Amino acid sequence: MTLTEYCKTRQAGRFGVLGAAIALALVCVLDCTTARTQANEPDWTKAAGPRSWVDDLTPIGEADWSYQRAAHLLERAGFGGTPHEIKQLAAMTPEEAVDHLVDFQKVPNASIPEFDHSGIWEGMFPGKDEHLSFDGIMRKAWVTGEHMGVKAGKDRSKPLWLQPINDLCQYNMAVSPWEWDRAEIWLANRALQTKRPLEEKLALFWHGHIAIENFKIEDYRLMLQQFELFRKHANGNFGELLKAINRNPGMLIYLDGRFNEKTDTNENYAREIFELFGLGVGNYTEQDIKEAARALTGWKVHGLNPWFKRADFDNGRKTILGKSGNFNDEDVVDIILEQPACAKFISLKLYKFFVRGDLNERVNEELAAVLRSQQYEIKPVLKKIFLSRDFYSPATYARQIKSPVQFMLSSYKKLGIREAPGVPYYPKVIEQLGQAIGDPPNVAGWPGDKDGGTSWLNPSTLYQRGNVMRHLLQRESAGRRYWQLFAPPNKEIAAKIRATGKASEAMKMIGKDGKTMSPSSKKMMRNQESNNELGVYNAYVMINERIKKVPLTGADIDLAKMIQDAGVTTAEGAIDYLELRFLRVRLADSDRVAVTQFLVERLGGDRIDYSSRWSKTNLKQALHIILSLPEYQLS
Amino acid sequence: MTKNHSTSCSRRRFLQHGLSGCGVAAGLPLFLQQTNLAMAANTVTGVPNGNADRILVVVELAGGNCGLNTVVPFEQDEYYRARPTIAIRKKSTLKLNDEFGFHPYLLGWEQLFKDGKMAVVHGCGYPNRSRSHFESMKFWHWASPNNPQPDGWLGRLSNDLPLPEKGPMIVNLSDKMSGAVRGSNHPTVVFDDPNQFVLESSGEQRAVFREAFKKKQESGNPALELVRRIASTANQSSDFIRNACAEYKTKRDYGFGKIGKSLPRIVAQIAKGSGTRIYYTATGGFDTHGRQTATQGVNCMNIGDALLAFQQDLEAIGRDADVAVMVFSEFGRRVKENSSKGTDHGAAGPMFITGKHVKGGHYGTFPSMTDLYEGDLKMTTDFRSVYATMVKEWMGLDTAKSLLRADYPTLGVFA
Repeated sequence: MTLTEYCKTRQAGRFGVLGAAIALALVCVLDCTTARTQANEPDWTKAAGPRSWVDDLTPIGEADWSYQRAAHLLERAGFGGTPHEIKQLAAMTPEEAVDHLVDFQKVPNASIPEFDHSGIWEGMFPGKDEHLSFDGIMRKAWVTGEHMGVKAGKDRSKPLWLQPINDLCQYNMAVSPWEWDRAEIWLANRALQTKRPLEEKLALFWHGHIAIENFKIEDYRLMLQQFELFRKHANGNFGELLKAINRNPGMLIYLDGRFNEKTDTNENYAREIFELFGLGVGNYTEQDIKEAARALTGWKVHGLNPWFKRADFDNGRKTILGKSGNFNDEDVVDIILEQPACAKFISLKLYKFFVRGDLNERVNEELAAVLRSQQYEIKPVLKKIFLSRDFYSPATYARQIKSPVQFMLSSYKKLGIREAPGVPYYPKVIEQLGQAIGDPPNVAGWPGDKDGGTSWLNPSTLYQRGNVMRHLLQRESAGRRYWQLFAPPNKEIAAKIRATGKASEAMKMIGKDGKTMSPSSKKMMRNQESNNELGVYNAYVMINERIKKVPLTGADIDLAKMIQDAGVTTAEGAIDYLELRFLRVRLADSDRVAVTQFLVERLGGDRIDYSSRWSKTNLKQALHIILSLPEYQLS
Repeated sequence: MTKNHSTSCSRRRFLQHGLSGCGVAAGLPLFLQQTNLAMAANTVTGVPNGNADRILVVVELAGGNCGLNTVVPFEQDEYYRARPTIAIRKKSTLKLNDEFGFHPYLLGWEQLFKDGKMAVVHGCGYPNRSRSHFESMKFWHWASPNNPQPDGWLGRLSNDLPLPEKGPMIVNLSDKMSGAVRGSNHPTVVFDDPNQFVLESSGEQRAVFREAFKKKQESGNPALELVRRIASTANQSSDFIRNACAEYKTKRDYGFGKIGKSLPRIVAQIAKGSGTRIYYTATGGFDTHGRQTATQGVNCMNIGDALLAFQQDLEAIGRDADVAVMVFSEFGRRVKENSSKGTDHGAAGPMFITGKHVKGGHYGTFPSMTDLYEGDLKMTTDFRSVYATMVKEWMGLDTAKSLLRADYPTLGVFA
């Protein structure tokens, strides 16, 4: 080992500043040709490991550690970071770095604020059976003339006599999703401010693995409750997590567990605990599902809490995956954990999320063995993965396409932003990019979590990612598009209906008249008891008055200062700096030349005048180009 | 009311219209043919592009559409016995003939059917069905069970077609890409809102992007190569699609559903002269485990209105002869209703084909309501027969056999 390499591995983190200084002095004396003195200084050396590392779970050695590999780890096990944060990680040994991330309970994290509820919960009825669908409520109100204390008009011959009920329904449908937007921003801010990035990342992993959807649970508090549960068990014991999920109110509503009763079983949850959460297809029979459903009976939801109704529990003998007994919900989990398929399935899911989309069978067996031997504790298998040569091999390194959430949060992190700004409006952005948190496409979560991210991107989402970066870097480029999200819907229609008292007039306004109207619209127009468009508007007004507002301000980004502080003086240096700070893989030479040329031409020369507004704008424009290129999609 | 309808009904319905031009097999049940009987090839044009003007639109009803409450067998007592709270009464249905009626909210489809522009294919499914959404959807998307392939069935179909001069190879109007359109030759264009399908930039930036998105030297990183192909497709197609959608304004009322937003965007591209021959769109909410009546009513309204308006729009631009729509769902639902006034995952269900060239009516055999498999309807038409019909009879392509790995009989749906 040369002294240089020695110095790279025994760096400041272990020997302190004095050690580093001595090492520096030695290097300068003995190896003057190398400017590089510490492994943790940002550069492009020691990125992906050799090909022989592919599928090799041997831990990497201290000599294998580098700034780039620390950056890779922080990107995958967290949301990336600033050069300062990456340097801190690079200054540790690989074991220390992985421990620091995985064993995060040791890291103090007091400064994260709680979610600031708007406190408008009247429209939310988690798990109440009488909470009917819109159609059902309207039909019932047509008979009774009221719903939840709100009375319809007295004169049934008057058009829109049922409008107050319609308004209430629209309000009830809209209020939780609106507040959930704020909760999504809060979750993003947690990820940006936490000292335990893997805790938040694992919560996202579990949210995709054990998915529930807001549209069905209808109360954002249940979603937040489930995220809390995911954080609590994030790196803990998988069996305990699954047992907690059995009785999780959001899940009891989402997969109809609350309707699963002794006399009439509902198999929805039983099926998914086998197929999607615990075992995977092919490792159980339809009969096992039926029997497991019986063992899972009796759990109900009251408000935000689960409760057990003994009378609805099937107290008989069940046979599940070859075992017989009077099993209950916890037994189902224990039986699942006994299956070798369970450990393989869970390690496969973790690997696909954190490493790459395809897993070698032998590697899968090795990881499953770790899970089994550690009684399904998650930490040991994560440490094995993050320390493995395979994780730093060319098959893994910069080969994942970032999820929309990763794309946004890691962009914020790299820009040094600690709070998601109102513009671009984060909840809308991740939804458009295909990853609305709290609203996965279905119970199987996002395919992008399992396929190396390839399904996140298509021509349209690729462009949108670029646009969002533009709006983030230059608030003014977004115009009013995010503001429009909060504009009153159907304002003109509502006014017209009020003025004329007739919904049909308003329908004409939106181009629905007798000639072009669809058969269903015609049918609906025959009764003018209430109007949906007006209801949506009235609900908007009610919610808007009461909800806490998200200020639609842009992020405060001082790119010029960032670059200046790094000691950069030229356009070429700025592009090199931005490339190293933002990308996990180098640009194609022709693109680097083109972006540099762009900046030089815009600045009228290679030198940067940091005091000019013009320079600041153009540095942002240059960065916008870099962040719109294919390379920036990779993690 | 007719009683004791079960088996005789299915025999009587059997192949009422199907297999025209396939005289050899006309007396055999489809499920016997599906395995290995080579059918006499239907008339195909013989040119590699098939009927080059013909466009296939596939509509996915995600979640498992309740076929029995879509096409209601109102003469069968078994149906009413199995569904005491959610069955649709005979007098409420929109009657198609003396046996079947549409869901009362399918007003749009009723009109299409009465105009002779809609084919109902009964009992569609596949052998050894799965009750999992995802497994089942894989069957439908890839049409290649036990034989994993990177490309979905429409992706494979497109691999044989030349790249159109205008517009991309396949357009998927959705917020996420379906497995069916995954193709390795050309990245599928997926979008929800055409206005978002643009890369905002200054003039100087645009010049850099234009160069950057051109073909590059192979990087050795498959993920990077994939993103580069996507960027290149985006660069080629975004202006065309955005302009097409901006220029076309429908006068029709497509209803309130998501599907009512995507279908007029397909018309817009066709009106603009796009050479795209495969469009795909999906609409969800069909997984009606609980309180099915309300949810399904809305679904039926949305798909009914949207498909009718789509047909009328195509007529208005004079292109209705060039388009056929195929509607499917990953499975039907359990015959017996559950305790939540809904239905659980089942097996066979109907498929629907609409278009000017469609010979309207009923195809295939309505499954028996008494001879069930684990409480589910047994399939009587392999869905790949319907795929083969669209490929051979409609698109005029001779690739159905290689595409589906077996020769599935076509149904004679197209005149």
